[in-house]
Amino acid sequence: MIDIKGLHKSFGKIDVLKGIDLHVTEQEVVVIIGPSGSGKSTLLRCMNYLEPPTSGTVAVDGIFLNSESNINKVREEVGMVFQRFNLFPHMSVMQNLMLAPMKVRHLQQAEARAEALKLLEKVGLSDKAKAYPEQLSGGQQQRVAIARALAMKPKVMLFDEPTSALDPEMVNEVLDVMKELAREGMTMVVVTHEMGFAREVGDRLIFVDDGRIIEQGEPKAVFENPQEERTKLFLSKVL
Amino acid sequence: MEFNFSLMTSSFPLLLLGALVTIKITALSVTLGVLIGLFVGIARICHVRLLRVLAAIYVDFLRGTPLLVQIFLIYFALPIVTGQRVDPFFAAIVSCGVNSGAYVAEIFRAGIQSVDAGQMEAGRSLGMTWIQTMRYIIVPQAFKRVIPPLGNEFIALLKDSSLVSVIGFEELTRRGQLIIARTYGSLEIWLSVAIIYLVMTLTISRFVAYLERRCRVDDRH
Ligand SMILES: Nc1ncnc2c1ncn2[C@@H]1O[C@H](COP(=O)(O)OP(=O)(O)OP(=O)(O)O)[C@@H](O)[C@H]1O
Ligand SMILES: [Mg+2]
Repeated sequence: MIDIKGLHKSFGKIDVLKGIDLHVTEQEVVVIIGPSGSGKSTLLRCMNYLEPPTSGTVAVDGIFLNSESNINKVREEVGMVFQRFNLFPHMSVMQNLMLAPMKVRHLQQAEARAEALKLLEKVGLSDKAKAYPEQLSGGQQQRVAIARALAMKPKVMLFDEPTSALDPEMVNEVLDVMKELAREGMTMVVVTHEMGFAREVGDRLIFVDDGRIIEQGEPKAVFENPQEERTKLFLSKVL
Repeated sequence: MEFNFSLMTSSFPLLLLGALVTIKITALSVTLGVLIGLFVGIARICHVRLLRVLAAIYVDFLRGTPLLVQIFLIYFALPIVTGQRVDPFFAAIVSCGVNSGAYVAEIFRAGIQSVDAGQMEAGRSLGMTWIQTMRYIIVPQAFKRVIPPLGNEFIALLKDSSLVSVIGFEELTRRGQLIIARTYGSLEIWLSVAIIYLVMTLTISRFVAYLERRCRVDDRH
């Protein structure tokens, strides 16, 4: 589904990604962990070309991300959820969900509306259709953001620390929605510090440090028996 | 000192006609300026380098030279190049509008850049193009923030439009000059002219304040 080969990314003189090879298969849930500044967000953002790679290739569903026309094609298939939600504040929840399907997928208004209502029900926010983002709690906003991404019917969902900006009591409502998605077979790449989630939902855990994949494997195996020194050190700090 | 109050009242209708012309120039120039400003402002931050450079030159040139000189360039210098006389009305609108466009462009640019970068990323990651994201997401949010500076620009333009009196265009200031030439009532007439300008600018600033309040209410819904 996602195929990354020899990915390098630098900002000016700083090398952030130093050669990443990663293949994500269909329906797989890949969880990425690693210290702050290690390049997790950058890696994720390369997957939908929010950051253009300095070298190497990224392909999604067989389409290489390299030209302007390709990029929008791929982005239609790749949903992204941000740490800070990034809902459109001047639009109601419904409008947030309906805009892209209507403008990009050219859905009729009625169709887009029906789809949006279905998704709101799925994330448990049917009663908030008419609300504006600022009237919602953080957890509710993030659930709307997930629904907004799902409205494009993506084949892959990327999550960049979706619960890091939330008050602790709201973390679970978002994780529950993500677990549900995983159960339904969505292909997901999740950057997170929620080790419980990684263990429970992840098919594969990837530990990134200093722009490289240091270690990867079945989450339980990596947690219980890390092979690399750096993984051990990191896990001893976060677990 | 002699103050001829009846001169003020008797010249008032004539001055009012001039004020109407001032309003007309201002309204047309503002419209032109906002159109130019929206495009130039967006060009200033788009990813096409050539457009960015052209837009920057436009803004620098028009903000870096006096409006009066720009009016002279269009009214007196342009005909030498084209061999055709320039209509004063045309010269007035174009010079004021083109000049204002540069200031409005900077206002829009600042407004657009004040919108959180995450908004563009969210729009783009949903598959919308840069232009679609600008149109449906960034510009609508920027618009609310640019209302106050846009109002100030509107007021500045209304006052600056007095400069087109130098090419003989009969707006409020020019009317005042003409009446004084006839009646020698400098004190009365300039006072009247000032009051009329003040009434117009205060009206605009009140209106802008009202719009600002409306937007804030809109925000809350
Ligand atoms: N647009 C940018 N310009 C310059 N440097 C950047 C940019 N984006 C990221 N970086 C740098 O790249 C490095 C990796 O950043 P990145 O956001 O990918 O890390 P991260 O692993 O997601 O960290 P965190 O856990 O704090 O989110 C950091 O040193 C950061 O300062
Ligand atoms: Mg990050």
